[in-house]
Amino acid sequence: MSPEQTEPHVPAQRTEEPDLSGAATTPAASPLLEVEDLKVHFPIRRGIVVERTVGHVQAVDGVGLSIDAGGTYGLVGESGCGKTTFGRAVLRLEEPTAGRVRLGGDEVTALKGERLRRFRSKMQMVFQDPLGSLNPRHNVDMLLSEPLKVHGVGSKAERRKLAVETLDAVGLPKSVLERFPHEFSGGQRQRLGIARALMLRPDLIVCDEPVSALDVSIQAQVMNLLDELQDEFGLTYLVIAHDLAVVRHLSDRVGVMYLGKLVEEADSETIYENPRHPYTKALLSAVPQPDPEVEATRERIILKGDLPSPANPPSGCRFRTRCPWAEDICAEVEPEWREAASGHKVACHFDL
Amino acid sequence: MALLEVEDLRVAFGASTAVDGVSFSVDEGKVVGLVGESGCGKSVTSLAIMGLLPKGRGRRTREPVQAAAAEPVDSGLKVAASAPQAVAASGGRGRRGGADVQGRAAFDGTDLLSLSPAAMRRRRGKDLAMVFQDPLSSLNPVVPIGRQITEVLERHRGLKGDKASKEAASLLDRVGIPDPLRRLKEYPHQLSGGMRQRVLIAIAVACAPRLLIADEPTTALDVTIQAQILELLKDLVETEGTALLMITHDLGVVAGICDEVNVLYSGRVVESAPVRELFRKPTHPYTVGLLGSIPRLDLPIHEPLTPIRGSIADVIRWRDGCAFAPRCDKVAAPCVDGEPALVGAVHAHRCVMAEEVA
Repeated sequence: MSPEQTEPHVPAQRTEEPDLSGAATTPAASPLLEVEDLKVHFPIRRGIVVERTVGHVQAVDGVGLSIDAGGTYGLVGESGCGKTTFGRAVLRLEEPTAGRVRLGGDEVTALKGERLRRFRSKMQMVFQDPLGSLNPRHNVDMLLSEPLKVHGVGSKAERRKLAVETLDAVGLPKSVLERFPHEFSGGQRQRLGIARALMLRPDLIVCDEPVSALDVSIQAQVMNLLDELQDEFGLTYLVIAHDLAVVRHLSDRVGVMYLGKLVEEADSETIYENPRHPYTKALLSAVPQPDPEVEATRERIILKGDLPSPANPPSGCRFRTRCPWAEDICAEVEPEWREAASGHKVACHFDL
Repeated sequence: MALLEVEDLRVAFGASTAVDGVSFSVDEGKVVGLVGESGCGKSVTSLAIMGLLPKGRGRRTREPVQAAAAEPVDSGLKVAASAPQAVAASGGRGRRGGADVQGRAAFDGTDLLSLSPAAMRRRRGKDLAMVFQDPLSSLNPVVPIGRQITEVLERHRGLKGDKASKEAASLLDRVGIPDPLRRLKEYPHQLSGGMRQRVLIAIAVACAPRLLIADEPTTALDVTIQAQILELLKDLVETEGTALLMITHDLGVVAGICDEVNVLYSGRVVESAPVRELFRKPTHPYTVGLLGSIPRLDLPIHEPLTPIRGSIADVIRWRDGCAFAPRCDKVAAPCVDGEPALVGAVHAHRCVMAEEVA
């Protein structure tokens, strides 16, 4: 399909254009993104002729958070905890079952059809697998112009100029415009993925595992790039990753997810210095450090077993089946999401 | 004498050289790491030792000199492997996709590379075993895991029927899988990623191999599960005296489990040292660069990372100079003036500017 064919619904005249100045529209330190009690449940269907819904996978089950304009929120958790689904639901790439998402005062969850499609220019995504998320038959020029075309921005020459500017911002030369994704290395591809997300000069970028597919030396390049771009374009990031060191490096605020819920949230410094939830403690203690002296003395909390099924989560506290400190109350009462210290929220019955 | 002694291992696929003269040894009860990024040749090294590479036409022969006289094609490739340029010239003659393996990999005195496929098959799984990165694609999806374990027991230990099942259950128990009798009947898709990796380890240790090669055994796993698997491997080494060759890109894993480390870049060892020595005094700029690229939990927050510039595609041939030179900050004229040698014994490095770097 040619790029022209992908945008049949775009009217010729535009009334509102995406903000190309790059500056965030909201003043600093007020929340740009507010998420309240977001839930995403996927139905489990059985039956061949008559499909019945026999249950729900509670991928995200009541997650609320807010991100200040220009800030970075890091969402960590292991595979299956619902962090990716949460990121996708924020962008309405997944339909939320319940809850509200507000971006810069607009209610994303209330938007529909054409208005939602137009609103997407304010929120973009960087994906984990840079090769899989770039169309192999499109050259860089087409890849980068596509979002502008979809949103009807600029003439062909203007789009190309913007593409060159953006390429420069992510550290790629103009000469790559005619090349195709397979001609690039993994790190360069991820730069292209970031450039594409930047083309519409969005307010919010959701980065889903932005560096986990890259080699160590390249990871550092891409992390530094994300830092620079944030300053240059006034971006707000939601960084989703399983690597705690990566999240700590990139984020101001960190939330830890377990089985569809946040279990702890604090400033990135606080959460690593003084983790309060047993799961956060275990996660942090499990990360091997590149230092044999530290490794020899490091105290590890080795969790038993695997993540329980999100279709049938444990009663009470969801972490209790693997928690070394679990007591009877943990099975009976779900711990409330409380502020244990200023700006430090935790969902645990105990002060550990 | 070390249990495994690899000497001057070279592997070429047609015109491209994947492993370019790698030597190291693994002692019993020790963990030796091969560290590097994608494309550095670490996995190919392990596959060559295990005899799992598809054979090319320039396969190693027992007596290279005689072979050279008898088979001109082989001799051509024999010379070729030591000179990359010649490999390029004769690469087309090898079987397509096949690997030309040269050098020695002595296991307890026997050169594994010179064994016949049948002899290698008798050893593989019994004397030396391997754990792969991706547990799902390493297990047969349509065979219950119990059968996949008893297969090894039958072949190498002659156990049959109930005896084999019992042994399989006790192996699963040993690698920390709860309710092993029930699990034996399950298929790989019914297990979680961590459990599948445990099954792979159970298969690998079924015959109490003396050497275990683990190729990125925890890369596909979550950190809490990674911690469990690393504990299990450490336990094996400590209680059974198994020699472990650990292949990984994760310097954190290396710091936690390895006794000795070999850092690979573009098919050659650029630095090798005991683990503490390597982290205390990294000498090759590549090792320094790798350590500077990792965000750490125990350092001040938001400290900028110092990445290595460029990518592994920016490389020159080792015989022209240091392959890392195009990405190196300390690069100078001597770096691109001929092949750098591996200097030093206990802590060896392949950098002509090492004094200046340090």
